[in-house]
Amino acid sequence: MNPSAQTLGQLESARSLALGDGRYYPTIIPGVMPIIGANANASLEIRRWGADFLAETFASPTWPLDAKASCALTVLATLKEYLDVVADSGVIRSAVQAAASIYPLVYKHIISDPTDTQHWQFMLAIKSNILRRMDSAPPGVRICCVKFLQQVVLVQTPGMPPDPRRPEQIDISLALVPRDHPLIPYANLEAEASGLLDRLLGIIHGDHSDALLVTATLNTLGMLIQRRPVVTNKILSSVLNFNPLKLANSPMTPKNKVIMKSIERTTRALLVNVMKRNPEGPFNGRIQQYLERMHRMRLDVFDESNRKRPAPAEPTDGLDTAKRQRLGAPVPNLAPTALSAPPLPLGPVSFRQLFTLNPDGNTANFDVQAFKDPEQLLRILVPVLQSIDETKLGNSINAVRSRYLALSKAVPRPTIPAAVTVDDEEEYEPDFEPEDAEQAGSKLDGISLDTLLPQRIRDSPLAPYKLPEAPPLTTQEAQKYGEMTVRRAFGMLSSIGEPSLKAKTSKGGFNRLAASNYDRDSWVTILSRLATRASAGLDDPDVGMKSEFDMKKASSSLSEPIRDELYRYIIHDWKKRIDVAINWLSEEWYNDNVLASKVFSKGATNGNGASPSTPKGNYQRCALRLLDGIITYIEGTDKVLVRFISEIPGLDIAILSRMKKMAEDPERIDLAIMVLQYLYMFRPPARELAVDVLVDMWRTNDRAKNNAKKLLLRWRPEALNEEEGEGFRTDKESAHGALEVKAT
Amino acid sequence: MSVDPRLARSRPQQQQQPTAVPPPPPPPPMALDGASDPADVVPDHKFKLKFCTICASNQNRSMEAHLKLALAHLPTISFGTGSLVRLPGPTAHQPNVYNFNSTTYRAIHSELSSQNAQLYTQNGLLNMLGRNLTIKGYPERFQDWIPGKPRLDHAEDQGAAGTEAGVVDVMITCEERCFDAVLDDLHNKGGRLNRPVHVFNVDIRDNHEEARVGGHAILDLALSLNDAAAKEREVFGDGGWERGGGAAREGFDEKVPEILASWQERWPSLPALWSLAWV
Repeated sequence: MNPSAQTLGQLESARSLALGDGRYYPTIIPGVMPIIGANANASLEIRRWGADFLAETFASPTWPLDAKASCALTVLATLKEYLDVVADSGVIRSAVQAAASIYPLVYKHIISDPTDTQHWQFMLAIKSNILRRMDSAPPGVRICCVKFLQQVVLVQTPGMPPDPRRPEQIDISLALVPRDHPLIPYANLEAEASGLLDRLLGIIHGDHSDALLVTATLNTLGMLIQRRPVVTNKILSSVLNFNPLKLANSPMTPKNKVIMKSIERTTRALLVNVMKRNPEGPFNGRIQQYLERMHRMRLDVFDESNRKRPAPAEPTDGLDTAKRQRLGAPVPNLAPTALSAPPLPLGPVSFRQLFTLNPDGNTANFDVQAFKDPEQLLRILVPVLQSIDETKLGNSINAVRSRYLALSKAVPRPTIPAAVTVDDEEEYEPDFEPEDAEQAGSKLDGISLDTLLPQRIRDSPLAPYKLPEAPPLTTQEAQKYGEMTVRRAFGMLSSIGEPSLKAKTSKGGFNRLAASNYDRDSWVTILSRLATRASAGLDDPDVGMKSEFDMKKASSSLSEPIRDELYRYIIHDWKKRIDVAINWLSEEWYNDNVLASKVFSKGATNGNGASPSTPKGNYQRCALRLLDGIITYIEGTDKVLVRFISEIPGLDIAILSRMKKMAEDPERIDLAIMVLQYLYMFRPPARELAVDVLVDMWRTNDRAKNNAKKLLLRWRPEALNEEEGEGFRTDKESAHGALEVKAT
Repeated sequence: MSVDPRLARSRPQQQQQPTAVPPPPPPPPMALDGASDPADVVPDHKFKLKFCTICASNQNRSMEAHLKLALAHLPTISFGTGSLVRLPGPTAHQPNVYNFNSTTYRAIHSELSSQNAQLYTQNGLLNMLGRNLTIKGYPERFQDWIPGKPRLDHAEDQGAAGTEAGVVDVMITCEERCFDAVLDDLHNKGGRLNRPVHVFNVDIRDNHEEARVGGHAILDLALSLNDAAAKEREVFGDGGWERGGGAAREGFDEKVPEILASWQERWPSLPALWSLAWV
C-alpha cells in the first residue's frame, strides 16, 4: 500500500467522524488542511479527495453557518491553489462547487468585517478564476461555474430584509450590505449581479447542442425566481421567450431527440414549479399559454419525426418516400396494372375529380398556383414531361377519356374499368405540398362540372359591368311605388307605438317644426303636412273635390294615398288616435284656408279667410269621411266623440247633421245631445248651428224629443212654440235670452 | 488488481447475511438472479458514481433497480415520490396505503400476509415485499430526503457503501410523473449543496415483469455512465490530462446525452428523459 493510499485511509476516517457528527468539522478541518492544502504538494489523489471533501464539508447541512463562515476563511488559499495550479477537471469541479458554497459565507463575513481586505482579495481571485473558466472550461466544469454564478447573483441581489425574529434563517443578500461599505460597494455588487444574470440567461438562448449547460442553467433559475422577486420578472420573461425545441431543424439523431425532449421537459418542470409556488402569480397566464404552445410544438416535432424522415441520404429518383425502402426491387415493375382508378362518386363531378386518378396521393392535393413564377414552373415541368412513361400516360388518358365519355353519356356510372395505375401521376409530380393545397382542393370540389364549364374562359379581361337602365316609370307605376313608400312609412309609424299619456307636452301648433325627433307625433305631422301642403295649389281645385269619396280621380300626387293611409291608421284604433285625427284635420283646414286666402288676395281684398263662401277644400270631405268612419263604431259611452267634434277646426251643417243621424240609434241619443250641448256652451260661433241641428232632431226624432226639448226650452223655446203653441214662446224667449247672456 | 468474479458474486450474499432478517414465508428468488453476469459487477477499487432510483411508492420499480445496482456494487439509495405508499388491495378501489419513512417493509409484509396470504402471494406482493425487506428497512419519500445529510443509519441497506454522505451523482426515475416530481422538488430544495446531479427517467410500467426488464435497462444505463465517469478519472489521472486529446479529453458530463442516446437505441421500448439538476 503506497503512502498516498495510507494517507487517504486516514483522511477517510477523519471524514467518517465528521459525517457521524457535523460538530466535529471545525476541529477536523484544521487537521486535514495541512495534508490537502496549499503548499502540501499533495498527489492528485489527495487533491481530488481534498476538493471533494471541501465541497462536501461546506455544503453539509449538519453544521451551522456561523461555524462554516469562520472555517471558510481558512480554506480560501487552498481553493485558490487548486484552481490556479491543478489541471484535473475532477479537482476543479469540486473546487468550484466548494467556492459556490463558500462565497456567500465569505461575503457575509466581509459585510460584518469591512476591514478584512486579505480574505476578500482571495475570494475575488477565486471568483475571477471561475468567471474566466465560464467560457473555456470543459462542460463538466462549466456547469459548476454556472452554479457559482447563481450563488453570486443570489447574494448580490436584494432579497427580503432580515427577519430579527429568526436570526438562524438568515438570507444572505444585497439587502444586508450597507450602502457605504468600503470593500464591497453596493452599486457595484448590484451591477455585477445583473450582468452575471444576463450571462446565465444568455446560456439558455445560446447553443442547444450543449444540453448539459442549458438544463443545468434552467435548473438553477428556479431558486432565483423563488428567492429573489426583484429579478423574477426578468428571468421569466427570458424563459418565456426561450424555445426548447430549437434543435427541431437539425437532423433528428437519437442524441438530438433526447436533448430536445430533455430541454423541453426541464423547462416545463421549472415553469410548473413557479406556478405551483405562486398559484396567484401574475405570470401564470402567460406560463400556461407557453406550456400549451410547447406541448403542441413538441407533438408536431416528434410526430413529424415519426412520419417523415429528415432529408434523405440517398437520391430518391423522384420516387415517393413511401417507396424508397423498396428501391432495391425493380421499380418499373412495382407499378403494374394492379391498381385501377377508383370509380367516380355519384352525382355531379368536378373537373378535379374527373382528372384525379389517385385521390389519396399527394399530387391530388397539389395546387399548381403555388408557383407564382412561371419560369419556375417551366423548369420543373419540362423535365417532368420528358420523364413521363408514354404507355402510362396513354393509359391515364384513356382512363380519363372513358370517364368523360361515361359522364357525357349521362349514364349511371357505377365503376369505370380503367387499366391504369395510380402511381404514375405521382412519379412525374415534384414532391411539394403547398400549405393551402387542401383548401384549394376542397374549393374545386365544391364546384360541379356543369357550373364550371362556362367559367373556364378566363383569359379575356372583363369589361366593366353596367346595370341595364330601367325603363321609365309610367304614371301608374310611379303612383304605385309612391303608395308603397307611404305604406311603409305608416308601417313604421305603427311600429313606433303609442306615446305614453304622460308624454303629452304642449302642442306645437301650425308653426311647429314638423319633426325634431322620431316619435309618432313627429311622423304624423310630417305625413299630414305632406298630404296637405306638399302638392297644395298644384291640383285643379275643381277636380279634386267633387266628392269626399271620389278617390279614383285623385291626381298623381301623393296626397290622396297619404290621406287614405292616415284615415286607415286612425280608424284602426280611433279611440287612441283621435289626436292624430285632430292634428290631421287641423292641417287640412289650415291648408285650405291658406289656399283660399291666396285666391282671395288675387281677386279682391275683403280677406276673410274663414268666409263660408270659400270653395270647399279637402278639409270638409276628409272630416266627413273620418266622422262617418268613426260613427260606425261609436257607442253611447264614447265621450271621445265630444272631444273630436269640439276640437276639429271647422264645423258645418253637414258635419253636425251626422249627430242627428247618430241619434237615430236610441243608445246614442244622449251622446249626440251631449255633443251639441258642449258645442253650444264652449263654441259660441257654432251655437246657431248646434241649435239648428237640435231643433231638427227634436222635430224628426221622437225618441230624442224629450232630451232635445229640455235644451231647446232654454236655447230656443220659440222653436218649440212653432209646433206646440204660442203661449210658451215669450217666456222661454226671455229665459233663453238671459241664458245666452250668461253663457257668453 | 483484478477481481475474482466468483468473489464478486459471493459478496452481495455475504452483505445480505447480516441484514437477513428472519426470512419471510416466500424466500426472495429475485435476489439471486440480479447480477448473474460477473461483468456487471464494478470492482470496489474502481471509481463509482452514486445512484438513486426513484418510483412512486419505492416498492416495485425503484426497488428492483436498487437491487440490481446494489448487486453490481454500485452505491445506491432509493425513494418514492408519491404522497403515500400505495399497494394493490383486494379490489382496485381499496388500495393498501401506508406512510413513507415509518412503515417498514416487514410490517407491511406481515400485515398483508395476515390479511389475505393467498391473494397477496398470488399477485406477487408478498414476494416483492420479501425481497424489499432484504434491501432496506422502509420505503423512503424523495421529498423528505435532505441531500447531504449523512446516511450512516442506513449502513445496513444494500448498496449503502459509498452513500454515507447522503449525496448522489445520478438519479433514475421510473416514470415521467416521478421525473417531473423530482425536478420540481429539487427546485424547492434549492440546490443548496451546489452539486450537479444527472436526473434520468426510464419509463417503466408498474408491474413485476416490466420492473424486471426495466431493472436490467437501468443497470445497463448505470454501468455505461459509471464506465464513462471512471474513464474520465483515469484519463485525467496519471498525467492523462497532458497526454489525452480529442474524445479522450471529453469529460463524463458532456458525454451523458450521447450515452443516453445509445442506451435508448438498445432499449427503444423504454422512453428516456434527462436533465442536469442540482442538489
